Amino acid sequence: MTNIYAALEIGTTRTVLAVGEANTGERLKISCHAEINSSGVRKSQILDINQATQSIKSVLREVERKQSLTGDKLDIGNAFLVVSGQHIKADPYQGTAPVEGSKVSDNDIDEVVDSSRRLALPKDRELLDIVDQAYGLDSLGAIASPKGLSGRILKLNTLHIHADANRINDARTAAAEAHLELREPLFATTCAADAVLDEAERRDGTLVIDFGGGSTGYAVYIDKYLVYANVIGVGGDHVTNDIAYAFQTTQSQADALKRTEACAVLGADRSASARVQVKGATPLIDKRTVSRRALDTVVNLRMKELMAIIRDSLEERDLLHRLQSGVVMTGGGAAMRGLDTLIQRELGLPVRTGRPIHVDGMADVEAPASFAAVAGALMFAHRNYERKPLISSLFKGLFK
Amino acid sequence: MNANSPLLLVGVGGAGSAIAHGVSRAFGESMRYVLADTDASSSRPGAPFILLGGDRLSGHGSGGDVVQARLAAEDSLKSFESALEGVRLAVIVTSLGGGTGGGATLEIVKHFDKRGVATIVFATLPFAFEGDERIRRARGLQSMISEASNSAVYVSLDKLIGDVDQMDLAMRRAVDTLASAVTLFWRILAKPGYIRLDPERVRKIVAKAGRGRFATVNVQGPNRSADAVDALARSPLLAAATGPVRSILCGILAGEDLRLSEVGCIAEGVRDAFGRRASFDLATVNDEETFTGRISVVVLLFESGEESDDADDEKAYPGGKRPSKRTKNPLAQGPQGRGRFNNVEPTVWNGEDLDVPAFIRRNITLDV
Repeated sequence: MTNIYAALEIGTTRTVLAVGEANTGERLKISCHAEINSSGVRKSQILDINQATQSIKSVLREVERKQSLTGDKLDIGNAFLVVSGQHIKADPYQGTAPVEGSKVSDNDIDEVVDSSRRLALPKDRELLDIVDQAYGLDSLGAIASPKGLSGRILKLNTLHIHADANRINDARTAAAEAHLELREPLFATTCAADAVLDEAERRDGTLVIDFGGGSTGYAVYIDKYLVYANVIGVGGDHVTNDIAYAFQTTQSQADALKRTEACAVLGADRSASARVQVKGATPLIDKRTVSRRALDTVVNLRMKELMAIIRDSLEERDLLHRLQSGVVMTGGGAAMRGLDTLIQRELGLPVRTGRPIHVDGMADVEAPASFAAVAGALMFAHRNYERKPLISSLFKGLFK
Repeated sequence: MNANSPLLLVGVGGAGSAIAHGVSRAFGESMRYVLADTDASSSRPGAPFILLGGDRLSGHGSGGDVVQARLAAEDSLKSFESALEGVRLAVIVTSLGGGTGGGATLEIVKHFDKRGVATIVFATLPFAFEGDERIRRARGLQSMISEASNSAVYVSLDKLIGDVDQMDLAMRRAVDTLASAVTLFWRILAKPGYIRLDPERVRKIVAKAGRGRFATVNVQGPNRSADAVDALARSPLLAAATGPVRSILCGILAGEDLRLSEVGCIAEGVRDAFGRRASFDLATVNDEETFTGRISVVVLLFESGEESDDADDEKAYPGGKRPSKRTKNPLAQGPQGRGRFNNVEPTVWNGEDLDVPAFIRRNITLDV
């Protein structure tokens, strides 16, 4: 049986919808995807429901149009929501249970798992995920499988990832207006990590940085566990805003400068006197130039500061030196010129750009790192719902 | 305690309760107040006290955990019902950086809002020496409290104590300064002078005020009104502007010897110093017993509210500076370059607004 899933990301700069399909037990393939520029979203939060609804409708139409070109008709009724933004928090929480008898049994493990789920969140928070880490037994830690071990108190460390419920509800409202039901909200950064990391990277220590338009999420994997995650409310939009302010351009001119000209490092190969052209807002306005050095300085200061924040938070938790596999960049911002070099300098770690490696259908995608989060969300769907079809109306081959 | 007063003072958390209790004792019986904390030891003999989250935390405090404090406050919101009867405006005093002050205040403010009670929060921010973590936590709570409350005034303890070094004197000065602003609302209503504000006007001012700051000065002598204006204009407590001043509440506390020319001098001076475009509310308090021979002036500046029609005045901006043509440009980015991030929750890190371009915060001059 072919299972079909959809994942929606309402980002600050773009709204992405991807459809994945797989036969039960087989590897997932992304069969169709589309992205359009978002409107009504700032810093990963919806500020205008109507505009967000229009973005969702447009991207739905685009996916359905693309799908129809293959001769298939697809009616997407629901999708998993990929969420980002600085309102997302990951709180550690430890469940504990006394060991009944002298050795840890399955019942004891069930008890401690149950205990680790009891963190009560305030009413305005919505749980996105509970991620299990290692077990502990009395003074022993880092136990992968405690069954049969002797001890008194069994512990399970978890990360509770939760978000502002109002922000999720806003997305649901916008999607409902577009006749799309949203299923579980999923954390963009861990979705991206699921899509791009291999087993060795998870084991040896890797930092995944997901560069979004309105925020930057990062997650640390060590010994196969997600040990820390955080989101900073600074993203590619901030770089655009900085450029617009520095050179008195429109946001779209600044965005074009960022994408085509800016570099995150102040390299020796770029002449100090070189100038880059700012495209006129209209044909009637004279084109002008700005200093390349000044442009790079604006971007460098912003990205260097962002890396310093990440570095400080990792050092504070004694994690930085444990990242033997380095850094993997995902998200649309990962394409910024010189960003890998900057991260390498600031964090002292090797850097690579991530691409979804556990799904098919991404070979011809221009910037696969920017689809990592939706790919990870589709993987989640396939892992958890492969026996429960999600998309109600599918007429594959109807027009063949 | 005046059970019919439309004003209620609420002290939240250990420090907030201590300050509120001190203020209520200093002001006298007519002040309606209640203290609230997760730590039972914050209760005072004879003072109305609400133990937040008693079942959850057993009165031992939140342990610096903001989430626990929020949950504890949620558990106990019904306990405020009798305290809120007939209340139109709640003045909440708290201290951010620990657990209960920030966490519980947020829930209490939201609850009051649902009950139709306008709120103004006076919150102290930690001393710099208390460490980045506490400051970061406090900054994080600021935006949430600002969003939930009608108006909020934050002041760092470093600024409140000024240059006083001796511990007990410094703390007394902090409490006295804060008390002068907090009690202004009661004084305006309890001992009105010739220029009065009624309770509903006070409520209306607060309901639209947004984020604010305050200072108070005490002066005497033949030039006391001019001295008061001068001291206010130089006050570091009023200096940290993040945007244009939209509304001003000015209280002049004096005895029978207050002259009309002095009121005029202070009103004009304050408007000149902080913004003629801002709406301006003035009240005098006649307290012969406390203020004969001297004047106390309390000024609260807010960044929301209605603007006056005097839009072209040069002094309508903080420090009397009109924005440069650069920010008047159609491409203007708004105050401090926040640009497209105006009107969204700021990203604050170590006390810095990260929505403002990094090169501006680092004072980097670009050769464009």
